[in-house]
Amino acid sequence: MSDADRPIDERGIDAGDETELERAGDVETAGPDDDFDPVQVFPESEDMDLRPGADDCYKCSTCDTSCPVAEVDDEFPGPKFQGPEQWRLKRQEDHDIDETVMKCSNCMRCDGACPSDVPLSQMHNTARGEYVQKGMSKLSVEYWRNRTLANYRRLAPLAAMFPRTSNFVMGLGPVRWLGEKLFGITSEREFPEFATETFRAWWAKRGGAETSRQRAKEARAERGEDGAEKRIAYFHGCYANYNTPEVAKALVRVYEHFGYEVMVPEQRCSGTPMFANGMLEDARRAAETNVDELATAIEEGADVVASCSSCSMSLRQEYPELFDLEGVDDVAANTWDAVEYLQVHEDLTGELEGASVEGVAGMEDFAYHAPCHARNQGLAGQTREVLAPIDGVEVHDVGDSCSGISGTYGWKEEHYDTSMKIGEEMFEHMEAADAEAGLTECPTCSMQMGHGTGYEITHTLEVLEAALVGAGSDGGGARPDR
Amino acid sequence: MARDTEVLVLGGGSTGCGIARDLAMRGLEVTLVERGNLTEGTTGRMHGLLHSGGRYAVSDRASARECIEENRVLREIAGHCVEETGGLFVKRPEDSDDYFRKKLEGCRDCDIPARVLSGREAREVEPYLAKDVERAIEVPDGAVDPFRLCVANAVDAERHGARIETHAEVIDLLREGDDVYGVEVRHDSGPGKRTHRAPGTTEEITADYVVNATGAWAGQIGAMADLEIEVRPSKGVMTIMNVRQVDTVVNRCRPKGDADIVVPHETTAILGTTDEEVEDPDDYPEEQWEVDQMIDTLAELVPILEEARTIRSFWGVRPLYEPPGTGTQDPTDITRDFFLLDHDERDGVAGIASIVGGKFTTYRAMAEEIADHVCAELGVDARCRTADEALPGSENLADLENAMDDFGLRSPIARRSKQRLGSRSREVLETDEPNPVICACEGVTRAEMQDAIEQSGSDLNAVRIRTRASMGNCQGGFCTQEMAHELHPEYDEPTVRDALDELYQERWKGQRHALWGEQLSQAMLSYALHATTLNRDSDPAGRDGDLEYGAFDAGPDAGPDADADATDRTPLDRRADGGEDR
Repeated sequence: MSDADRPIDERGIDAGDETELERAGDVETAGPDDDFDPVQVFPESEDMDLRPGADDCYKCSTCDTSCPVAEVDDEFPGPKFQGPEQWRLKRQEDHDIDETVMKCSNCMRCDGACPSDVPLSQMHNTARGEYVQKGMSKLSVEYWRNRTLANYRRLAPLAAMFPRTSNFVMGLGPVRWLGEKLFGITSEREFPEFATETFRAWWAKRGGAETSRQRAKEARAERGEDGAEKRIAYFHGCYANYNTPEVAKALVRVYEHFGYEVMVPEQRCSGTPMFANGMLEDARRAAETNVDELATAIEEGADVVASCSSCSMSLRQEYPELFDLEGVDDVAANTWDAVEYLQVHEDLTGELEGASVEGVAGMEDFAYHAPCHARNQGLAGQTREVLAPIDGVEVHDVGDSCSGISGTYGWKEEHYDTSMKIGEEMFEHMEAADAEAGLTECPTCSMQMGHGTGYEITHTLEVLEAALVGAGSDGGGARPDR
Repeated sequence: MARDTEVLVLGGGSTGCGIARDLAMRGLEVTLVERGNLTEGTTGRMHGLLHSGGRYAVSDRASARECIEENRVLREIAGHCVEETGGLFVKRPEDSDDYFRKKLEGCRDCDIPARVLSGREAREVEPYLAKDVERAIEVPDGAVDPFRLCVANAVDAERHGARIETHAEVIDLLREGDDVYGVEVRHDSGPGKRTHRAPGTTEEITADYVVNATGAWAGQIGAMADLEIEVRPSKGVMTIMNVRQVDTVVNRCRPKGDADIVVPHETTAILGTTDEEVEDPDDYPEEQWEVDQMIDTLAELVPILEEARTIRSFWGVRPLYEPPGTGTQDPTDITRDFFLLDHDERDGVAGIASIVGGKFTTYRAMAEEIADHVCAELGVDARCRTADEALPGSENLADLENAMDDFGLRSPIARRSKQRLGSRSREVLETDEPNPVICACEGVTRAEMQDAIEQSGSDLNAVRIRTRASMGNCQGGFCTQEMAHELHPEYDEPTVRDALDELYQERWKGQRHALWGEQLSQAMLSYALHATTLNRDSDPAGRDGDLEYGAFDAGPDAGPDADADATDRTPLDRRADGGEDR
């Protein structure tokens, strides 16, 4: 048989076909108004061709003017270069991504700033992944430092087993000094404390989903609702589990107050620190578990809520942009920020009318910082609006500056100064505000706020808990089991 | 009688520059004149395909063989102008199996390496190919930058002593009896490098032999000496996409037809083309439907094209020719072969030959044959060396790869700069001066810009074709004024201003055919920036003569009529909106 007589196509012969058909199917379903659908350059690789995304850029540079890193670091070429320009100049066989992509803090402000929907953070994430995969030595301290920071969750269970010892050791001056010298983790910051009991341990002890179902049912009866079940799957992420279980508990109590049964599916890190460190393989593995578990919960009638704004950002935007997983679009479409969900689905304002936190320790005036990842989800004004009807609490918005820490970014010795320079504006505004405590939804923004001002930082859900559930209620009240 | 030069070449396209280089390397005294910039005719208006010969493998095997031979030569001598992309002839379900088989056999008969890929394999090479593409033939097509190649030929000719005059339009062929002995040219701004506003001059250039390499314009030149040359100019449209949807040349595998090729070209992809005979190579209609139809048809091969951004469209004119009496009706059937018309033999007029027909990929072989003819005419015995000696920029390219020097530039910028400059990279990019990026779309730095200005005078379009600056997605909206600034202080303010206007107009010209979607937004943003931020819609400083303060601001007492009256306005007022005033 001559070459020309070969069968027209070998579709169905090769096992690799399935991937290809799926891919082809994706292209087909994209309507004319859809954005382009990036293709994987090779079926089995993560390399994506994002050059067509550069079509949307008309070079206006609004992204550059909104980039907090570019504002304080003249050496940083900015999101326009890192994104559409670098991609457009790229050829399929080029793999040398400019190293400055590691200076991007992944705050994703450029996404929100762009008037033309250029997939900037997707371009940055992908470029960073490629840089780390192909341009960074797997033997370098930097690689392992970044990998450890990105995979903080892997170490956390160990620390959580011996929280007091860990907190003591990590707090020791010499340990922090060594961390910087050997590992490039800044000694300027204090490591976040591990809770003595993780949220999941508390949840299990409390009776898990069964208890929650019962409490939700009671709450619905009390509220005079017609018995239709309401259900959410809580994506708590790592920080609320290991470090601030009080935030997670607040979410559970607030949702149960509204009659929601809370499910807490198996989960891994949302991937945010992994994207930011270019560890896309790690992020993908975590995403596989999360999408699988959350898609199952959605099938069971739940919507997904997250208390951390970076976790919800990741599930909603980065997952579908970066990973072609079954169910990923479903999860993205059904994931909400925890407060946003209540505001849309419940009469939150009505419920809070006349509620009071007067006399509750630490719940007076707050300097509120909207995290960039909340801002990108359109939620910058939400906390102030939601908390306004509550008596005894005043929320002062400190403006649209970035806190500068951006997750693991500000933990790196080489980025610490940049991080603090970016944060300066926020610190000043916090100090100028008529408040002695801080409020935010993002765990690492909270670290930075505390680090820069010495304030105690609270999560919005904790204020809602104090206002709606209060101390000594059925749910155990404000932190009864602490 | 002593002549000014031994050989006078008319036309600064690939053929003319190739002939000038060849003859200069053989030791002849050569002068080349071109009415515009190098490549301004047909060379700069092609899709940039370096033919493997596959496209001619069924219909014209002689051309196919010639193409694959020259393809191999150009990879060697012009490495910095060529990108070895590879090419595919893809077959859709409605395309003929029989033709696919003929194409494959034809390639093999012509020694063009060819391999059949299944649809799936083809999509592994090019993921954006349509999912119903059934199979493909892989051939060694490539992409070539015609600007860089043509300029490199001219530069090398100059190195070998040739005189190259751009912006020198032939206004008369000098003929005495049955002997052509030179031309009269009009220098736009005097001889030498172009400087705007320098007064024009005319010059008679006499030569022992004149080579008319003006392609589609050969008939017009011939007519100046009553020579009849039956060129049949045929226009073709090409559209430039903002990004590369493909990194391989994608051809449609069917006998002939419009809109059957996508060529990755530098940062872009070029869609081609159509074939329609026109009367006048300088004046023919450019229709939007030609663009629309081409995108629609090519989207059958690469569906993403339907939604992709185009940045401009342009038309080129093929210098087709067929001997008198052939009478082919359809221009697509006219041979792509070239013809050397020896006017002595043909018309009894000595001292001149015309070159017509031909194609870009085989420009060097054509030049060689013509140079042989000229040498024979002049009784010179010299061997052609153009196939063996690399062009400036293409010498020892492997050394450059190994050197890994980025000259302090960020990675894709360093990579693209080095690709454009080839072996000249160190000479151009190594600098102690600050070297900022001037054109961010294409990654062109000041050092490269200054090098091009040195070659081009104040002509920013000549700088553009050497560097690609202003050829990216903003089409100069963000960099034309930065480019113009680079002319200062060597050139004064009015010169800089004229150079800027000319480049901006040229960039606008091609965008007129891409004004929808993102490029429309781009054009509006560019307009707003130039009209308002740069005040180019009505800048009193743009007028000749001294300026009164009142020209900027007549003061609070002035009524609406106090503004400069209409007759006082220069064409500049219309320039920022791209109105064609030239």
